[in-house]
Amino acid sequence: MNNKKKCLVIIPAYNEEKSILDTVRDLKEYAPEFDYIVVNDCSKDGTVALCKKNQIPFLDLPVNLGIGGAVQTGYHYALENGYQIAVQFDGDGQHDARYLENMKESLEREKADLLIGSRFIEKKGFQSSGLRRLGIRYFTILIRMLTGVRITDPTSGMRMAGEQAILIFATHYPKDYPEPESAVAAIRQGLKLVEIPVVMRDRMEGTSSISAGKSIYYMIKVTLAILLERMRRY
Amino acid sequence: MYKLQMIAAIILLAAMGYLVGMIRRRKLDIKYALSWMIMIGLMLIVDIFPPILSLISHLFGIATPVNTLFFLGFIFSLMLIFVLTVSVSRLSDRMRQMSQALALAEKRIRELEESNTSETENKE
Repeated sequence: MNNKKKCLVIIPAYNEEKSILDTVRDLKEYAPEFDYIVVNDCSKDGTVALCKKNQIPFLDLPVNLGIGGAVQTGYHYALENGYQIAVQFDGDGQHDARYLENMKESLEREKADLLIGSRFIEKKGFQSSGLRRLGIRYFTILIRMLTGVRITDPTSGMRMAGEQAILIFATHYPKDYPEPESAVAAIRQGLKLVEIPVVMRDRMEGTSSISAGKSIYYMIKVTLAILLERMRRY
Repeated sequence: MYKLQMIAAIILLAAMGYLVGMIRRRKLDIKYALSWMIMIGLMLIVDIFPPILSLISHLFGIATPVNTLFFLGFIFSLMLIFVLTVSVSRLSDRMRQMSQALALAEKRIRELEESNTSETENKE
């Protein structure tokens, strides 16, 4: 009974027609027990047509909501359809489907509510640029200071949520740059957060949503969000 | 009454008429028009009885009455902008919830239609 948990992979997609098929093929091959759903965030390319043609299940957002809103749609879907585990998985080829089984085992073994795949435990694979690593390090320290929990890769988008975390994220999820903020929200609401080492690749297509100009806004916004999250009462 | 006061009063009344017209044609919510109507009303009072402005200036310790006008106008504008920011936040939140609900419903309809067409195909 315990091993028959319903698992869902949430793939937020914005103009990912070039990589979505590879992502889905990897999922079918390496994580056959996981259902998957593409959340199309108003792509301007043929993402939807591609999903229809290849019978990939998808949700089609009528307006562009950004990464946070798209991922949250996936959590709503997980909640509505009784999934006990939901995992966020980037459609651009950065994440490796081979880790999903491993993540699920860890989540169950550690009785964790939220599992984050971290690039910086084993320090293998794509490590991001030096400046970005410095920024990530800063968030690790900030979160450690405010919550006492050490997250080596708070910006990692590869995360697996248990039932409680699904409910919390479906109710409230940050709109933009959601990763560090939602991790703090989870900790604050008493969820058990565990990190496991993963190796990520550099993206196959597209560019990071965080350009040089936006990175200052990113740092300020996320810092403020984490501080305010710490001040919230649950 | 000075000519300028007359002109100002006419402009204000015209603005009020325009505002009422927009509410009548349902182009503007009374809720949002109310603050503008109060604003126009206050401006009319000050326009007709200018000593009020001097009185307020005296109370605040502002030497030139016109500065009182600028000050109050500025406060009003800031308040209005803040209220609008709050309502934009609320609207975008509702818009997000609605889009998500719509996307979920759309998938269910799509699947229903697909299963319907395949059923009729099977019957035939």
